[in-house]
Amino acid sequence: MSDPRKTPDSEPTTHFGYRDVPESQKAERVAEVFHSVAAKYDVMNDVLSGGLHRLWKRFTIELSGVRSGHRVLDIAGGTGDLARQFSRLVGERGEVVLADINASMLKVGRDRLMDRGVSGNIAFVQADAECLPFPDNHFDCVTIAFGLRNVTHKEDALRSMLRVLKPGGRLLVLEFSKTRNPILGKIYDAYSFGFMPLAGKLITNDAESYRYLAESIRMHPDQETLKGMMADAGFDRVTYHNMTGGIVALHRGIKP
Amino acid sequence: MATSLVLQALLAGVESGLRRVLALDPKALEALGGLQGKVIAIQCTSPAFVIYLLPAKDGLHLAANHEALVDCRLIAPAGSLARLATRSDKSAVLHERGVSLEGDSGPLLVLSEITQQLNLDWEHELSRWIGPLATALLARVARGQHDWAKRTATSLHQDAADYLTEEARTLVGRREAEARFCEIDDITLQLDRLDARIAQLARNRQERPESP
Repeated sequence: MSDPRKTPDSEPTTHFGYRDVPESQKAERVAEVFHSVAAKYDVMNDVLSGGLHRLWKRFTIELSGVRSGHRVLDIAGGTGDLARQFSRLVGERGEVVLADINASMLKVGRDRLMDRGVSGNIAFVQADAECLPFPDNHFDCVTIAFGLRNVTHKEDALRSMLRVLKPGGRLLVLEFSKTRNPILGKIYDAYSFGFMPLAGKLITNDAESYRYLAESIRMHPDQETLKGMMADAGFDRVTYHNMTGGIVALHRGIKP
Repeated sequence: MATSLVLQALLAGVESGLRRVLALDPKALEALGGLQGKVIAIQCTSPAFVIYLLPAKDGLHLAANHEALVDCRLIAPAGSLARLATRSDKSAVLHERGVSLEGDSGPLLVLSEITQQLNLDWEHELSRWIGPLATALLARVARGQHDWAKRTATSLHQDAADYLTEEARTLVGRREAEARFCEIDDITLQLDRLDARIAQLARNRQERPESP
């Protein structure tokens, strides 16, 4: 979701957390964040979500409709939580591609999956979601879990995902969203801006990255806006499911 | 959606427990690997819910939703499902009212066989915690108790059956019932033959030209 505002030297800007940065710098700054947290990414996910991220991902897999022989692309696949389950579901006749723009995350994911014996039907690709290096109409399912908010041009990324999906294929976007419960919202704000940077400081010695995480969640489009963006990109039958009071939402769209 | 997450948490917990149990029997895991890719839906009609079983080489995965075709769907009320899970004679339960099976029953039967033939190496797991010597002692006591309980239960079952059928005459014994069923079958056959004979005589009478 790029910001149409321009800096004095006319380069378009976008948000990086609460700050506006030139578009050309966002990817680099996001990469720095993930290089910094990659090694302790799983631990932090469990600590910060209280293990709930595993349940959100389970639900995503259940709604994916992936079965034996399917070809699946997991964008921003990180440490391979989804890819591992997809690898089991698609079987030997299928294929899973774990893509991530960040080399550190990709390395952690590849090592982790290999350590768990996941191989044979899985490939690892360093790729930018905005210009996916895959042929048209190639995948039965594309997923992006907790990655879309870090993409500079979200509309371009959604169009790119639509392009690589086969007609009838589905896109699943699992992402932090907005809760409509004011009490939960207040608790969540206190948690995000108080506990998260503190946990980041204690576990990864990096409070800034987790401050960015909290800010980037607030800057991400809400459920209805993202639904509209997916429809605008060309997806059909776009629906979303709120989880944990709307703190996280799973959007699903079908390629016509 | 809160309910969904609670259900997801419940399924994740059960799945994790099953994985630990199945890890004690490598043969079961190997057999489950042979079913990888198959999806079995267990549809409970009362109370209404559906659970999907996805066998894999690392255990039995459970899901509350599955948006693709399933290989086999077992539809039954909770009572029948419980009996199916615990009884060795499954065909009797499968013929009960309200129980139906759709699709390829093969994966379900194989899965049922795997669960019945589970041979858990609990001594190995226990020895990791309390050591081999204590495990051996504990196992000897446990096996002795188990054998005694099994013999006692068999004997009690036999004595109760004999008393109810032979002495109190409250129930009909299996052999007696089978003899009566055979007699009923014979009578049914004789009646069928008689019916057919009467029908043939009636036809002959109609076909024969009337005498002047």
